[in-house]
Amino acid sequence: MRLVKTRHNISKFAERTQCPTLDSVSAIWAKGLVKHFDEVRAVDGIDLDIAPGTIFGFLGQNGSGKTTTIRMLTTLLRPTAGSARVDGLDILDDARAVRRRIGVALQEAGLDDIQTGRELLTLQARLFGMGGNARRQRVDELLTVVDLEDAADRAIGTYSGGMKRRLDLAAALVHRPGIIFLDEPTTGLDPVSREAIWRYVNRLSVEDGITVFLTTQYLEEADRLAHDLAIIDEGRIIARGSPAEMKASIGTDVVTVEVPAADGLGRAAEVAAGVAGVERVQIADGAAVVYVPDGARAVARIVLALDDAGIEVGDVGISRPSLDDVFLEATGHHLRVEEPAAAEGGAA
Amino acid sequence: MQPLATVYFLTVRSLREAVRNPAQEVGNIFVPLFFFAVTVGSIGSIAADAFGIDNFTGFQVPVAILSAASSISASAGLGTITDIQRGYFDKLLLTPAPRSAIVLGRIAADGVRAVIITGVIVVVGLIFRTGFDTGVFGVIVLLAGSFFFGTAYSGFNAAVALRTGSPQAAAAGGLLLFPLIFLSTAFAPKEVFADWLQVLATINPITYILEAQRSLIIEGWNGLDLLRGAAAIVGFGIASFTLTFLALRWRTS
Repeated sequence: MRLVKTRHNISKFAERTQCPTLDSVSAIWAKGLVKHFDEVRAVDGIDLDIAPGTIFGFLGQNGSGKTTTIRMLTTLLRPTAGSARVDGLDILDDARAVRRRIGVALQEAGLDDIQTGRELLTLQARLFGMGGNARRQRVDELLTVVDLEDAADRAIGTYSGGMKRRLDLAAALVHRPGIIFLDEPTTGLDPVSREAIWRYVNRLSVEDGITVFLTTQYLEEADRLAHDLAIIDEGRIIARGSPAEMKASIGTDVVTVEVPAADGLGRAAEVAAGVAGVERVQIADGAAVVYVPDGARAVARIVLALDDAGIEVGDVGISRPSLDDVFLEATGHHLRVEEPAAAEGGAA
Repeated sequence: MQPLATVYFLTVRSLREAVRNPAQEVGNIFVPLFFFAVTVGSIGSIAADAFGIDNFTGFQVPVAILSAASSISASAGLGTITDIQRGYFDKLLLTPAPRSAIVLGRIAADGVRAVIITGVIVVVGLIFRTGFDTGVFGVIVLLAGSFFFGTAYSGFNAAVALRTGSPQAAAAGGLLLFPLIFLSTAFAPKEVFADWLQVLATINPITYILEAQRSLIIEGWNGLDLLRGAAAIVGFGIASFTLTFLALRWRTS
């Protein structure tokens, strides 16, 4: 099913860009991409190979290197080392041509509060060389797509956070790019606004065949949207695959056992590891995370073993493997989400 | 995207910003006119005897024009920083528009604002009977000179804004002109200065810009003064645009 959909998107992408050899190239490709800021290795040798028409999720917590990677791929930042091609064009040698073919919505909706939504989109279209009726029609069309027709002639400074993100998305699409980069498009938004952005992003891939490079710190977002996913931590990609493949790689259920006594945690992990069927145990955030097939049956054995060992047990949970478990297994810690001071959005 | 078209679109955008934020423009014109009125009011009556200047009001008009241009470009530097902080500058950099043209758009808008504010000051001067010895064509030359000085001076603030991204630094950058004005023939002719100040005024490009503007207002056509003034503005422009493009390269590398 996925294969069929991807081929369909590749075909749409090839139509859009009139590129007959597109099937043989990646939409985004990078080899050994590195960025240093003085002594800090923000990105530490990243390889990418992203198929046209897919939604590629780049999952990691704040400071992991997601934004730096996106800024290099979109020509805003020069890599310290390595090379990358976007739509077959080198990001250093063909930077202006790359910018013509991509749309970008960065983490902070980069808007001008004094202009109206329509003025911002019109200026954006003009800077991409669009003129006359085609420009006006495209601006009207995008305002409709992102549900901002009624607010189009109001100053952007009066928009809610959700409206600004939608306008930013529209601005990234104004010149009909074949590839779009979205840097944490829903961070700080309320659930309703987040859902709206997810709907638009999904439509870009499914209906328009656009390749989407999406960074996120939200597991649910990555799980819901991404066809292909990479987990980045401390500037390196530590896991890669589709969300389903990644979760399947865990291969077992996950039993999480909280141990109130901090000094009992290590002992609890040892005891749990000795229970029949347990494949491995990790300690994270005050709990023993036990990987075991058929968790529903195993949980009783684990709790009894801990009780026999005199270890007090707190809350116990059983779950199918999630991306958080994938992240935990790969990094040794849970993904920590940092929200802005107050989530905002609103439909108004 | 053609560079000139980019400059034009972004100039229009900056001017729209100015129109929608009139309080800032009122401040830009009020302060120079206040000092103009106070200076003329306090020493205008003795200027003829002390400095040999009959039309001291006309003598002071160029000082108000340069001060206003300085205020304008300081606020434009802050505008650039606002764009950087909001991420809008990145959005512009992500278009295929030439990056130098993106910066020049706001700088050119400062030139246009300098022309408008110069027009206002000239009208105020005429109300105070400064006269204008070179007539309408002289006014056009003065306005053109203000455009080029406005853009040239704005380049310094753009450079500070791009290099530092700091509102405080941008505001301070706007003050660069004030010591240059005080070390020029802003308030009196060079002949009445102490020797050391005469030397500084002679090497100060602001002196030549003021004298070119004054020649248009109170002396009549003087080719040498105009040439020197134009050369000073060109020198300012070369220095400021070099710094601007270096700062832009630094920011985008």
